[in-house]
Amino acid sequence: MPNATGHQDAARSVVFAPLDGAGRAELVEQRLTDAIVSGVLRDGERLPSESDLSRSLGVALVTARDALEGLRDRGLVRTRRGRDGGSFVTYDRDSAARMLESRVRGHSRIELRDLALHVSAIAGTAAEIAADRASQDDIESLLSIGANADLSTAGGARRALGRFQLEVAAISQSPRLVREEVRLQSEAGPLLWLCLREQEYRDSSAASRTRVIEAIRAVDPPAARAATISQATAALDWLVREKMRLEASADLTRQGVR
Amino acid sequence: MTSTATLSPLSVAARVAVTIDGLFATIDAWRDLLQAHLEAAPTPTAATLDPIVEAFAMPALADDGLITGAGFVAAPGLLSDAQWHLAWWLAGTRGIRRLAAIDDPSSEQFRDYTSLEWWRLPARTGVRHVTGPYVDYVCTDDYTVTITTPVAVGGRLLGVVGTDVLVDRLERELLPLMRASGEPIAIVNGLGRVVTATDSRLEPGSMLRLDGLTEALEPLRAAEPARVEARLASGADVLACGDTSLALVVGS
Repeated sequence: MPNATGHQDAARSVVFAPLDGAGRAELVEQRLTDAIVSGVLRDGERLPSESDLSRSLGVALVTARDALEGLRDRGLVRTRRGRDGGSFVTYDRDSAARMLESRVRGHSRIELRDLALHVSAIAGTAAEIAADRASQDDIESLLSIGANADLSTAGGARRALGRFQLEVAAISQSPRLVREEVRLQSEAGPLLWLCLREQEYRDSSAASRTRVIEAIRAVDPPAARAATISQATAALDWLVREKMRLEASADLTRQGVR
Repeated sequence: MTSTATLSPLSVAARVAVTIDGLFATIDAWRDLLQAHLEAAPTPTAATLDPIVEAFAMPALADDGLITGAGFVAAPGLLSDAQWHLAWWLAGTRGIRRLAAIDDPSSEQFRDYTSLEWWRLPARTGVRHVTGPYVDYVCTDDYTVTITTPVAVGGRLLGVVGTDVLVDRLERELLPLMRASGEPIAIVNGLGRVVTATDSRLEPGSMLRLDGLTEALEPLRAAEPARVEARLASGADVLACGDTSLALVVGS
């Protein structure tokens, strides 16, 4: 009976699901929202034009337009007309905090755990292989990413973390790991590394970079893997704690205790 | 032993050099073309330069040879209509496309290419440089060797011109030559990274770790391949492949 291969059919239906239309605009909107909420796109920064956006993301012009409209409706960008016009990020602390809350609460613990596991699998394996394949030049370039990191903001810390993990993946000499790292950074990064909003975690991200570099320098693959994974685990722990805190306070509000 | 014709390691080194020299000659001709244009054009623009680059890059990519990427990258500020400019074309499964580069420095995705090895090294030394093998996540998105040569007029660096070569294709070209020697041979770059090897356990991209190899390859890193000549403690010989900045490690 056809249902015997039900899971296969579901997988097939995803493959052939239409990519255009509402779903895509939401994806674009989600990606830009994540970038704004996590501080990768800064307050006041000008976004690419609709046509540049559609070109770089590989979506239709109307999709890019819909996504920008969605951001405008939620107060995350403001559009100015005229010669110096364009769409500008408006980072309003209150709306950003609300956005973050709904993002964290929109995922189950199981989903968050799974996300961290996926990141650990890719970044951990990349670090493990990189420890065996790094040249002296590679170690220098990893050090320079750490030296140039701006740890005073969440966005700066996340950019440094992203560049570091991408460079480690490149040092593993695996095009597949690099591609997967790039994909995961845009998909999972904004959510998983939300802990970088706190200075304590920005400092520990720098300490973790140092441990990974030391392990790579010592040609110690297991240590490079362990240091990479423990950072993702700490980020997950923060995320789950934050989720439970937000939910507990929402419960209290509902019960009228507060 | 059934093989009748064997190549000595020295001839293998020479044949590897010939393969790569073909690419060098191609790039040098492009450099001459660009230098001639830039000498004649006091205020060059992307609009006038791009068609020149496209005219040599497209045929090179269409020809089913080693080249998978080709083009010119301008020194920042050279062109009056584009502060940062890459005119680079890539061949892929879906045909030839121009690299979509982010040339707006305020963009999050902007990469300052003058910090990348394929720019930095030829800019510093004034001579051609072979970058890689490396995962080129800016251009080809694959495992690549990039060869770049400075374009300069009157001693002033105006950009670099070059090609990308996929390591797969290079391996397909070089491995038969190496096997013909009947000896275990690895081709490594100046850092000791394996480009390809006859030993199936020695993977492209891995580091060849042999006592004394780092020191033996030092002349390659200093762009003086003629000085490479060493026998390692393990009994392996290190031979430069002409002036390609690659070396053979023969024996184990």
